[in-house]
Parts: sequence; C-alpha cells; structure tokens
Amino acid sequence: MEAAVASKGKMLPFDHPVHFAAHQFLVEEVYVQDRRDFDAWLSMLAPDVVYRVPVTSTFGAKPHKEGEMDHLTEDLYSLKMRIARLKTNMAWTESPPSRTRHFITNVCCYETERANEIRVLSAFLVFRTQGDYQGPDLIAGMRDDILRRSGDEMRLARRIVSLDESVLKTQNLAIFL
Amino acid sequence: MDAPNENILRALDDVRQGWIPTSIYSDPLVFEEEQRRLFSRTWQFLAHDSELPNSGDYVVRYVLNDSFIVARGEDRQVRVFLNVCRHRAGQVCRNESGNTKRFLCPYHAWSYKIDGSLASVPYHEEAYGGEEQLRKEDYGLYAPPRMRMFNGLIFVNLDPDAEPLEDYLGDYAKYLAFYFPAGPRHVEVRGPQRWRFGANWKIPAENFSGDTYHTPHTHASTGVIKLVSSAATTNRKAGINFAAGRGAGSTFRMEPGTLVERLRSIGYPDDHIERFAASLAPELRTMIEKDGVIPSASTLFPNFSLLHLWARIDDEGHLAPFTTMRLWRPISATETEISAWWVGDKDASEEFKEKSYKAYIMCFGTSGMFEQDDMDAWSTLTRMTRGYMSGSVHLHARMGMRSDGSQMREPLKDFSGPGVGHLGFNEFNQRRWLNFWAEHLEKDVPAPPVRTVVRPLRQAAE
Repeated sequence: MEAAVASKGKMLPFDHPVHFAAHQFLVEEVYVQDRRDFDAWLSMLAPDVVYRVPVTSTFGAKPHKEGEMDHLTEDLYSLKMRIARLKTNMAWTESPPSRTRHFITNVCCYETERANEIRVLSAFLVFRTQGDYQGPDLIAGMRDDILRRSGDEMRLARRIVSLDESVLKTQNLAIFL
Repeated sequence: MDAPNENILRALDDVRQGWIPTSIYSDPLVFEEEQRRLFSRTWQFLAHDSELPNSGDYVVRYVLNDSFIVARGEDRQVRVFLNVCRHRAGQVCRNESGNTKRFLCPYHAWSYKIDGSLASVPYHEEAYGGEEQLRKEDYGLYAPPRMRMFNGLIFVNLDPDAEPLEDYLGDYAKYLAFYFPAGPRHVEVRGPQRWRFGANWKIPAENFSGDTYHTPHTHASTGVIKLVSSAATTNRKAGINFAAGRGAGSTFRMEPGTLVERLRSIGYPDDHIERFAASLAPELRTMIEKDGVIPSASTLFPNFSLLHLWARIDDEGHLAPFTTMRLWRPISATETEISAWWVGDKDASEEFKEKSYKAYIMCFGTSGMFEQDDMDAWSTLTRMTRGYMSGSVHLHARMGMRSDGSQMREPLKDFSGPGVGHLGFNEFNQRRWLNFWAEHLEKDVPAPPVRTVVRPLRQAAE
C-alpha cells in the first residue's frame, strides 16, 4: 500500500480547487450510500468502472498479499446485478436493510498522467447494524480511487479498497464500501 | 466413565429419529464434546497442493484452535507441523502464507527449517550442554499424527489411530474427484477469503450435504435477476441427492443432450470439455450423460464443502461455470469462520479462468449473491436457538420419512452414480450427516495426538 502511494504523481495542496471537488464527491457519495440510493450511486460511476476489494493477507514480511483473491471484483454489469437483487425484496440478508455510516477522512489527491483524472486516497470506517440484532460491525480500510472529470461532472472510474482486517468480522459484504 | 452429559446423549437419540434439539446449535457443552470427540478424530482439510508451488512456500491453517504450518520442503515434499515452538510454545510462524528457509521463534530464537526440524538453539552448548544433553533431532516441530493427500487436497487427522483417509472417503472419493480430479484436468485454487459470522458450524455443513429445498426460496432473488436461469432455483426437486462414504451432496438436472452439449450449455469451452470428460470417474460420466444430473453442492463430513455452479457474467448472457471449496471452522458454538476458495482449471485459458472467477465472486464467498442469503439464514437460526424456551424445541428434520420412521422414497434403483441416490426433495443426506455426528459424539476421546515422554527426574539421575 505504501509503495503504491509512493508511485503517485504530485500531491495537490489541500486548498486546490480539484481537491475540494474530489472531497465533495466522496462526501456526497457516502451520503448516497448510507441512504441506500443505489440508482444515484450508479450514476456516480463511470461506464468502465473497476471496483475491487482484494483480500488482505499477511504474506511473508509484507503486510499485504495483493492480486490473489478478492472479496469483490466488479464492473458496471455486476454492480447493477447486485443492486437489482437488492431491489427484488428477496435479498433476505438485507431485510431489514443494513444501517451503515461511512466515515471518510485523510483525503489526499494526486495528479495522474491523464489531465482529466485524479487519484484520490482516503481512509474509511463503516459502522453497520441491522434491526435490533446485528452488529455493530466495523469495517476499516483505505480507498484508492480514480475520479474522472468531464466538464463539471465527476465520476468514479476505479476504486481499490484495502481492508485493514484479513479475517472480516461482518457477516457478508452485501453493502458497498 | 467419561461420557457426554445426559442431555447430549438424549440429543443423539433425537437426531437419529429426525428431530434436532435446537441446543446442538448453541450449547457450549455440545461444542466442547465436538472438540474432544469429533474434531479430534475426523479428517480435516488444510490446504491444496497448488497453494505451494515452490520449495519454501508455506501457508498457515487451523483445525479449531490448533495452528498448522503446511510447507513445501527443499525436496518438494509437502509437510505439516504444529506452529508451536518446542521450548515455550511460541508461535514460530505469524504470517498467513509466504516463502522462507527458516521459522524463527520470536521468544528465545529457536529456529526451525522448512522441513520442520530444529535448526538452531541459541547458546546450545553453554545453556544446554550441547548435543549430548539436547539432541536437536529430537526437537523438531510436531507433525500431526496423520497427514494424507487426495488429488492435491491436504488432510490431517489428530487421532494416532485414525482410520485411513481412503476408507473414510469410501466411494465419496469419486465425487470428490469430480471437483478435484487426479488428471488430466489439473486444478489450481485462489484464496481463501476468510470471514466470521454468527452461525453454528453444523448448519452450513448439513446444508451443503443436500439441502436443495432451500434454493427456490432462499435464492429466489438470483433467478429474478437472471444471475442463473430461473430453472436452477425452481427445478431443484428434479435433481438427485447422492450419498457415499463420509460424503453426500446434491445435483442439478440438466437440459437434454450429450455430455459435450451439456457441458457446453453451462459455459465450458470445448478444449476444457475434453479434459473434463477424460477426468471423470466412469460412474460420474454416466451420471451426467444418462441420468442427466451434475453434482452441485456437497460436504465431506464433518466440515469441508464443495460446490459447482454456473452463472451469467455479462449483459450478453454468457454463462461461466465455477467450483468453490470451503471450510467451516468452528470458533465457538455460535460462531464460524469460513475460508472459501475459487477452484479453477490450471490449463484453461486466462480468459476462461477470469470468467469463471467472476462467476464465483458474483455468486459465492463474502459478497456472493447466493452465499449472502445463506449466511443470513444460518446466523439467524443460530441466534433464534439461544433462548431458554427456544432452546427446548425440537426441529423437524424428517422430510422423506413417514411418521413410523420408514423412508417415503426408496433409493433410485437405476442410479448411475456411486453410493445411493434419492430423487427430489429429501432430508436423507442431512439425517445421514447428523447420524455421523451422533456416532462421533458417542465415541471415547481418542489417544492424544502427542505423547510426550517426560522422563522422571530420578531416572534421569541414574
């Protein structure tokens, strides 16, 4: 994870307009996620979106073993399928729906080789409960995003989530990180 | 003499009649007896050979609370050791996997080679009197009493007097070889995904052994969104449940056609079909060809399960098949850790592997659209059995049984697969699994896995 950060382009200062725009995008996104407005969430994704949650595992002295196994490895088709399923009213695990609260912080933006794309790192903590019986579950990690700008609009083109746990302590990932 | 308490003994009688006392899903005393009498003598899956391609590769895996290192030595041999230093029980390997020449205990720095032997002891001469007093060859990491491979699957048994794996598997070996053939189709695995949830470990194990009855409802959403054909969820009663050796499972009814047409229809590319067909035991081939059913979920008693399925992986409607294996590791009576792997064909094209992997991630594992709802059902029922009143309930596990205890459906006379086959919805396999469970809980605790000789002081002085 640290090596990946080191290979980034120039970091934007915190008072840079693009940094503000990216931060605002992330905050708007988590409100959309937490109120389960999945159609609005889909509209924030680029058509070629890559959304991955690799399994975290300690390999030798390295804290992470990358690229071997994923909890999620999605494109727009599979994300749409997951959301269509949640709308069937037969996705029993989300009945009643999870209450989630995504906390986003430590936001840093980096230039990329493409003028219309920025790389955004952020830390997240998700607090999850269901009904009066499930949780609280905590999921912590880091997002490594690429946001693509087109005019005034910004969309998520890529998200790789690094989880801080190798053994997840939440029943499933029926929620989006 | 040492025996489970009366409540537990009564529960064993009950499950044999097809009545499940809810306490077996949440009573810590039941779990304690399972640790002493069942996990102490059943064959336990640890790893697959393909997880250790190179000399020095290792993975760390668990049987309950025992941590084991599975390592490939310089001589290419796979060995298994207890991850416990012989001096003061330090954890000699603290990673989940890696490649190394040595395992070093962080406490006093005893170190062990990749073959488990003791490599070095600090101040061996000054502190211990050298080889004369502490022979290094006597202090390698402990190996479990039994270790055995089946088509790349690495199993251990903690009972020094364990029955051989071959006898334990019996004819289930032919079904296991459907998922893990000896060749010419070679398997590789990716994983595991690991996560914990609030269910008793027996529930998923029993489900995978033959619960086709839950599919139409639990997994209805997957048919609605056409992740799988709706027939896959609604037509499960047309499948045949099989039981052989210490394993059992279910099948899916396939569309009419030849073996090649049938495998093609679920997304296997032609080059793969050749290897696939050549890898099947003759009975399995006939089962797919003549009976028209293909294995889906199954469980090797007690807690190792497999699944084969196919799903739609894009908007164009392409199907891709996948296989997964998983271990249901009990953490407590009411918590289970799942380790789940994708199982692929080593010689397949990268393109096909990715399709199959995508189908797996969409359907099973942490985020799988099938497994999400399974886990919810299993943790819910575990939670619901924890009450004083709900803990006194007996659950109905008598599907396919008349009130007098006789079987409503005889095994199929012309079933082509190994063992016995039952057509349609039936809890025969689950009762069979519960009977194995009861049989184990009645057994005496086996001899300890390690019989350390502690030499009396007096004798040492002589």
